[in-house]
Amino acid sequence: MSGGIARGRLAEERKAWRKNHPHGFVARPDSGADGSMNLMIWQCILPGKVGTDWEGGFFPLAIHFSEDYPSKPPKCKFPASFFHPNVYPSGTVCLSILNEDSGWRPAITVKQILVGIQELLDAPNPADPAQTEAYQLFIQDPEEYKRRVKQQAKNYPPPV
Amino acid sequence: MSAMADRGVIENSKVLMVGAGGIGCELLKTLVLTGFKHIHVIDMDTIEVSNLNRQFLFRKRHVGMSKAQVAREAVLRFRPDVEIVAHHANVKSSQFNVEYFQQFSIVLNGLDNLDARRHVNRLCLAADVPLVESGTTGYLGQVTVHVKGRTECYECQPKPAPKTYPVCTITSTPSKPVHCIVWAKDLPFLKLFGDKTLSNDLDVRTSGAETSNEQEEASFFDLQKDETSKAYAARVFDRLFGQNIEIALKNEGAWKERRKPTPLFIADIFGSEDKHEENGSENGSALENKSKDEGSALSAMTKVGLKNPQEMWSVKENAKLFLESVRLFLDKRKQEIGKLTFDKDDQLAVEFVTAAANLRAHSFGIPMQTLFDAKGIAGNIIHAIATTNAIIAGLIVLEAIKLLEKNLEACRMTYCLEHASRKLLLMPCEMDVPNPKCYVCSQTPLVLEVNTSTVTLRDVVEKIARKKLAASFPTIMQGYNVLCETGDDIDPHSAAIYEAKLDMKLDSLTPVPIVDGVEITIEDLQQDFSCSVYVKHREDFSEEEADEMRLGGLDLLTPADTQATAKTEAALKSSSAEIVDGDEDTVMIDGVSALGTKRKLEEEPQGPVQKKMKV
Repeated sequence: MSGGIARGRLAEERKAWRKNHPHGFVARPDSGADGSMNLMIWQCILPGKVGTDWEGGFFPLAIHFSEDYPSKPPKCKFPASFFHPNVYPSGTVCLSILNEDSGWRPAITVKQILVGIQELLDAPNPADPAQTEAYQLFIQDPEEYKRRVKQQAKNYPPPV
Repeated sequence: MSAMADRGVIENSKVLMVGAGGIGCELLKTLVLTGFKHIHVIDMDTIEVSNLNRQFLFRKRHVGMSKAQVAREAVLRFRPDVEIVAHHANVKSSQFNVEYFQQFSIVLNGLDNLDARRHVNRLCLAADVPLVESGTTGYLGQVTVHVKGRTECYECQPKPAPKTYPVCTITSTPSKPVHCIVWAKDLPFLKLFGDKTLSNDLDVRTSGAETSNEQEEASFFDLQKDETSKAYAARVFDRLFGQNIEIALKNEGAWKERRKPTPLFIADIFGSEDKHEENGSENGSALENKSKDEGSALSAMTKVGLKNPQEMWSVKENAKLFLESVRLFLDKRKQEIGKLTFDKDDQLAVEFVTAAANLRAHSFGIPMQTLFDAKGIAGNIIHAIATTNAIIAGLIVLEAIKLLEKNLEACRMTYCLEHASRKLLLMPCEMDVPNPKCYVCSQTPLVLEVNTSTVTLRDVVEKIARKKLAASFPTIMQGYNVLCETGDDIDPHSAAIYEAKLDMKLDSLTPVPIVDGVEITIEDLQQDFSCSVYVKHREDFSEEEADEMRLGGLDLLTPADTQATAKTEAALKSSSAEIVDGDEDTVMIDGVSALGTKRKLEEEPQGPVQKKMKV
């Protein structure tokens, strides 16, 4: 009933994902301590793209949907302090397709979001920095930036 | 038109009016002058001074009293022979259930929020009572007609959600006054006075990785030991408007295409001038103001000598207002700190937000706002226009008469425009038929009679979803809770969770037990199949029904009623309402609080749930 549009769409997204999703990616409803499975939050794992400095990392990402989804975009969060120029210190991803005022369209699927974020990893957008540290290294010290990216990838080994 | 309206139809009809505010006052007056004689009015609000300019049934002496009751008395004075029943209550409360709605010929809405409108829409659908829905914002207004199965229901078309702003714009690169006001409401206000334990996405930390900084940031907005409220206000000021801007400036890339913000420090604003002396007169005035310093009447504005909320204040005046409002919160409203949320009727909160927004706006070269305008933006206020309300109320009554005369073909939805279209300010449109995909009015649900304390989830999956509904890979959901997914693609972690649920009895599932009155959704991964199933608890199954389950249409609930489809939900509610007992209430409350959202309340069939809303 209330929130039925979001619920119906999330059920559809879930079905679409189960039927077909890109290799190496994981996405599932958030499981609570009480045994609940909540479709409003998806726990995902996003593999770093092969052939980039991010390769080998399997990065956890939570997608938080709201009642207003899909007229409003979900919020995507890496762990806090995730090293990337376009990720806020809180872990929130700053990306045009996730921005209601620029790139978001209700037709964008969860798969497109995850692939979009995977692409953002190795192709940061210097015009919209979200954290100082990664942004400054990216601009001023590419070698150190690369080292930090590779280090981070090692910290997120493949899931068992 | 309805000049020939049948007096009998009007006089004998029983009308429910929801809302006795701007539209409601006009509507009640127009109804009785049209000849309606049996009216119920529901409104949970009390009269405020700001209502008096247009809600003409109310006078200054009524401030603080129930809108519904005062409206009733005011109208009875000029139409004493009319029967009006006033309810000072929330329309969502349990007393206004489907049976209550069924006593009316028609329901007329004059509401001010989406939630209540949706709620009334569902009850009208369930009770099969026609609804005339209305709304106004400034010069704009509309009246729509909703008849179950004949026209669109209120929720057939999605409603636009209120505007939100992207995090990046609010935290880093504001460009409009509204960005600064949203920032002031969501960041400093909540950080200083709100619940600090809530994680806030707008946190701007100096550098992501350093834990010491995070802790420092977290505790920065706490009052230090032995710190005066004045020192605290000054420290917070420099942090919010000075240091944080300096930090932001380090993100050079952000400012390549944008104007750089200017950090603001107290020392720069007040110079060598002693700001303590600035407020020197307050010791004297503090005494005389003391009696007024209660609740929302508390004002920092008057204390710093600002009088006109429609006047543009200088940066310095805003700085003083900011410091004073922080001090007053700390000194006079200490017990509320940590619990406050922004309320447009809280004078001190509005003052704080205005000052903070203006100081930030100044930093970023954005025009500042008067307190009056800032309050409007912060509270999403569009000033109401009495004439629009009167026009809309008139249209509601016209549509109501057509409905009561069973002349649905003549009904129109009518928009009231700000600028004339073809020389007309009113634009009538034909009614649309129901949206077949509407999740509210067009899905025919099923009913599962089941003994919820003996039957397991696995029984439902195997015997109902697979066997009865022919689902090959069933998914079972209750709202956003996924109870079961089947298929080889499920990851082991999730599969283990689902497996653990399968052998639980329905009424012991967590976080929401499947008990009487709960609605579940059964879907299939492969087929394009989805249906809603209302659960009805029953224990007296015969020996032929050894599974203790029976799936059927809504006629299960009203075996004798041939018009079952029209009255289905109503019947469902009455039957489940009878069964509701104390235990069940408790169970439902647990479920609701575990999920922690208002939505969940609405997610359930309404009969039993309403019982909880007032608890």
